[in-house]
Amino acid sequence: MPRDESSGATTSDTDVITETIVVTKRPWNVVVWDDPVTPMSVVVVIFRRIFGYSVNKATQLMLTVHHEGRAIVWSGERDRAQTYCVKLQVAGLQSTIEQDS
Amino acid sequence: MVGRHRMFVRKRDGRIEVRLNDVGRAVAREAFGHVVAAERDPNHEWYVTLSAPIDPSSDQDDPVATLARQNETATNAELAVMTLNEEFLTDSEAWAWLSTLQVALRASAVANGLLSEDKLAACDPELLNFIRTLQAYLFELAECL
Repeated sequence: MPRDESSGATTSDTDVITETIVVTKRPWNVVVWDDPVTPMSVVVVIFRRIFGYSVNKATQLMLTVHHEGRAIVWSGERDRAQTYCVKLQVAGLQSTIEQDS
Repeated sequence: MVGRHRMFVRKRDGRIEVRLNDVGRAVAREAFGHVVAAERDPNHEWYVTLSAPIDPSSDQDDPVATLARQNETATNAELAVMTLNEEFLTDSEAWAWLSTLQVALRASAVANGLLSEDKLAACDPELLNFIRTLQAYLFELAECL
């Protein structure tokens, strides 16, 4: 096994570490799904209240949900994504989390 | 049922006035009561919506997250029930009303398979009236928050 003389680590060790970092850096997305009954203005209010988004940003996200069937409304660490997802579900929106591909 | 006047009005002091009559409050009571019941009863037809997956890629969600969801939903629904007859709501109470009404709206639609505009339009008139009434409450509450 080849050895890196400056650090004492092997080439294989370095490869493994680099690969692990890439996997853990992929963010988690909070996804909100469309449904036919929720008023649009309610979705905007919920986005503003939970994320603190501006009216413009909340409205844009609401329209993405409406036209595309879903929208990623927040991305970041898994724990926070899970917390936001729970808050959205408590507010009555269909929401899930997924790791960025 | 609820007249032509506004049902919820934001006052200058920040409170939200509830102008629902007895019949209008009875609809809210029914919605809030169902959410409280569904949160406690796995056999309730709305329970599935209240326990939807957080991470569909996993076999089981984080128990801490599901417990937090259960607690927050129950807290909102119970606060909404407690303030059902109030003339004025604080901002937090109005948020509890909005959240609980929205949970009731979605749960009612999902439980009855109303997942498209066509199915919604063709559903039982009494159910459609219930859904339209909740939507009207939500629309006006959203304007106040």
